[in-house]
Amino acid sequence: MSSIHVEDLSIKFRIYHDRSPSLKSYFSNFFKRNGPPSFSDFWAVKGISFDIKAGERVGIVGHNGAGKSTLLKALCRVYESVEGNISVTGRIAPLLEIGAGFHPEFTGRENIYLNGAILGYSKQQLNNIEPEVIAFAELEEFIDTPVKYYSTGMYMRLAFSLATAMHPDILVLDEIFAGGDAAFMAKAKARMYALIDKANIMIMVSHDHLLVKSLCNRVLWLDHGKLVADGLPDEVLDRYLANRK
Amino acid sequence: MRDFSVTLVELYGSRNVLQQLIAQQLILRYRRTVLGYLWTLINPLLMMSVMAVVFSTLFKADLKTFAVFLFAGMIPWNFFSSVVTQSGAAFINNEGLIKKIYLPKAIFPLSIACALLIDSLLSFIALFVIILALGGTLSWSLLFLPISFLLLFLFAMGFGLLMSIATVFFRDLQYVIAIAMQGLFFLTPVLYKHDALMGKVAWLVGLNPVTPFIALFRVPLIEATLPSGQVLLQVTTISVVTMAVGLFVFLRNEKKIVFRL
Repeated sequence: MSSIHVEDLSIKFRIYHDRSPSLKSYFSNFFKRNGPPSFSDFWAVKGISFDIKAGERVGIVGHNGAGKSTLLKALCRVYESVEGNISVTGRIAPLLEIGAGFHPEFTGRENIYLNGAILGYSKQQLNNIEPEVIAFAELEEFIDTPVKYYSTGMYMRLAFSLATAMHPDILVLDEIFAGGDAAFMAKAKARMYALIDKANIMIMVSHDHLLVKSLCNRVLWLDHGKLVADGLPDEVLDRYLANRK
Repeated sequence: MRDFSVTLVELYGSRNVLQQLIAQQLILRYRRTVLGYLWTLINPLLMMSVMAVVFSTLFKADLKTFAVFLFAGMIPWNFFSSVVTQSGAAFINNEGLIKKIYLPKAIFPLSIACALLIDSLLSFIALFVIILALGGTLSWSLLFLPISFLLLFLFAMGFGLLMSIATVFFRDLQYVIAIAMQGLFFLTPVLYKHDALMGKVAWLVGLNPVTPFIALFRVPLIEATLPSGQVLLQVTTISVVTMAVGLFVFLRNEKKIVFRL
């Protein structure tokens, strides 16, 4: 059974006021430590705690810059040097940005193997899913062409098909994508819902409240890095929407 | 120590990614060229041939002996210098990936070093062909070379780990290191023999940590004997210490990288 435990999580970023300090000021700051600091700290996530049990479908809402994506990235271990504790049981599949790690010079087929490895699939698994991925992406004709010649739609279809080819225990989604023509979008939606259905835990960030309402059975509301509300979708979303007006 | 074993386990778990990253570097470089991967072999050989002709004329040395002498020094030097320089960009070039998905960070400098090692081994095979063509003989001492490569790999990789981290925090290092490597090249007995030097310069060359590694390759290849116990001890100490320092710095800082890219 999968579970996620987050305790008092804080993530800090450093904002540099002057992006490229001159050599002179670099050295003068280096020697006098007590001058005005050239950076300030920004807490993207501050003191968040929650537990997610198997079977939960969690939606995360909040305005832009509330720390939603940062929180997801921390769950996926992209940000590791953080205060507080995160423990995750179960295989987690980050679908944060599909197509991460695609190499433009590689052909579609080579990218299936490269990107697939990055997504954590074994070679055996990749051999098995390769025909299905290509068929779903409708790229049989162009699969041995370097992806730099692909149209945006082709690129997205391949990335989507590959990322959704395996069923993870914990599914992490940052704004479910919508791309390709109408026919593909319908197909992709069905595949996405199947993936969500089979996942033990699903966590998604979305600005589409209807989607959150229909897919989730729990909603977290983040504001300026803090957890404002945590509860049933209807209650939290109503409060969130009322607050926004 | 715990961090280290965790890293090893994770690296083993991601061996598939490592393999893909190495292949990416080896395949992409010469993609769509007529000679393709053969360039990996031809390129260093042509470079070294040009140097052999130029410097044997300059030093008035016999071309055949000088060529073998030079190649035996160039191959370990090229490997070391490429690992150190290219590791500097290991994280910066993979920023997109690091910010989107978790991978054990050591995989990036490691894939660079492995790809360069493969290149280096191929150059070595070419060197054997040249030695045979020039009428040289192959001796049993050549069986020592895998150990030479192993020690050199540890040394270069340790340096590479250090560089990969340091460059993220101080980007200017990428340019500084290229120049430093150029300077270090002249302090390394690649073009000349260490014992041909005298005075301060000889002392300086003796201090250069790369110097004994050149001997590690040159002695079995040219003198057909095993490196002396003193060289071996020196080289092993340098490799182990560099690797230990590299790993220590790397493990302490690897989690900060993503915030600095």
